[in-house]
Amino acid sequence: MSGPDSHAGEPDRIPDTPLLDRERQLRGYRINKMAMGLGDPANRAAFRADERAYLDRFGLSEEEKAAVLARDWREMVRLGGNLFLILKISAVDPVRITEIGAHQAGMEHEAFLRDRLGKKV
Amino acid sequence: MARIVGGLGTSHVPSIGAALDKGLRDTPEWKPFFDGYVPAREWVREQRPDVAVVVFNDHFNALFLDRVPTFAVGCAAEYHPVDEGWGPRAIPPFPGASRFAWHLADTLVENRFDPEIIQEIKVDHGLQVPMELFWGRPADAWPVKVVPIFVNVLQYPIPLPARLYELGKTLRRAIESYDGDERFVVLGTGGLSHQLQGARAGFLNREADQRFLVDIAEDPDRLAGWSREQYVETFGGEGAEVVMWLVMRGALNREVVVRHRHYFAPASMTGAGMIVLEDA
Repeated sequence: MSGPDSHAGEPDRIPDTPLLDRERQLRGYRINKMAMGLGDPANRAAFRADERAYLDRFGLSEEEKAAVLARDWREMVRLGGNLFLILKISAVDPVRITEIGAHQAGMEHEAFLRDRLGKKV
Repeated sequence: MARIVGGLGTSHVPSIGAALDKGLRDTPEWKPFFDGYVPAREWVREQRPDVAVVVFNDHFNALFLDRVPTFAVGCAAEYHPVDEGWGPRAIPPFPGASRFAWHLADTLVENRFDPEIIQEIKVDHGLQVPMELFWGRPADAWPVKVVPIFVNVLQYPIPLPARLYELGKTLRRAIESYDGDERFVVLGTGGLSHQLQGARAGFLNREADQRFLVDIAEDPDRLAGWSREQYVETFGGEGAEVVMWLVMRGALNREVVVRHRHYFAPASMTGAGMIVLEDA
């Protein structure tokens, strides 16, 4: 079937809509496993205490670490991070999900709320 | 004889649970959303279901990418809230209807669905929020038992919409062949339109959402015939999870009566829909 699975090197079949297909989940496995760890309070404490050391425990590449340290949500997703997983970072370092959305859309937060979500701001 | 008293559909946005936790129910932002569920809660009180079969997905809280069951049936005696990063929410654990769950597993396999069988697992907002919306949060114990059906709607390949509709039909067979006198409801959860990642983040489709709330009652065969791409295009990358409503719909008769319907957008970043259906 010519499903939503994209093949290696090809762009997403549905524009600007990253799905967790084979390529993306393989690529993002480390970053996602690191984020999954934040469901455990001991890991959240370790992340707070020394974020870089916590990321090293999961074997993240320099590129992946840089994206996490900079809270670059768009880049984390590009590297295969899944939103539901990387969202756990916002439990340690609070940021609203609409701010994460705005960042990925490349918009100011207020404009995102107004133009994408139809909120009165 | 066990029987289905109705089918319930609802979104399961985590912000809904957070709004309840923070006491925001009656704020101007949330009141119109929660008020829409008042008639549905009244319906649940009148119908007094004994068992809720809840079709939902875990959002990488209890399950990770190391093993991804396409379908899984919870056969546990109890389901505690999982820690999604903010600590487990302070709501009572959900009692499981494990005897029926095993009968369901048997029936599914005999009808060529082969689910994973789970005996220990915690549940995330995907199950919690629909239960709180339809039953209200109890002080110490839920008045209904649950049977979770976990569906993978996150890692591709996700199952076909038509397959989910078929699963619902088999679920009905399981309920009607069960040697008990319990009253069942089936909950289809997730959606409606939303997208949380990629440059299309913030995508909403209010028109398609409202059309879905009509078609799920009147024309489910057409919705079951859609491709997965159509769902992603129409409802957004994350909104495509609305296919899980097809399990609930498949468990009902072809002809249904819509008792209640509600739509509110956006709940956080999501078009939030609700429906209460009974067999005609």
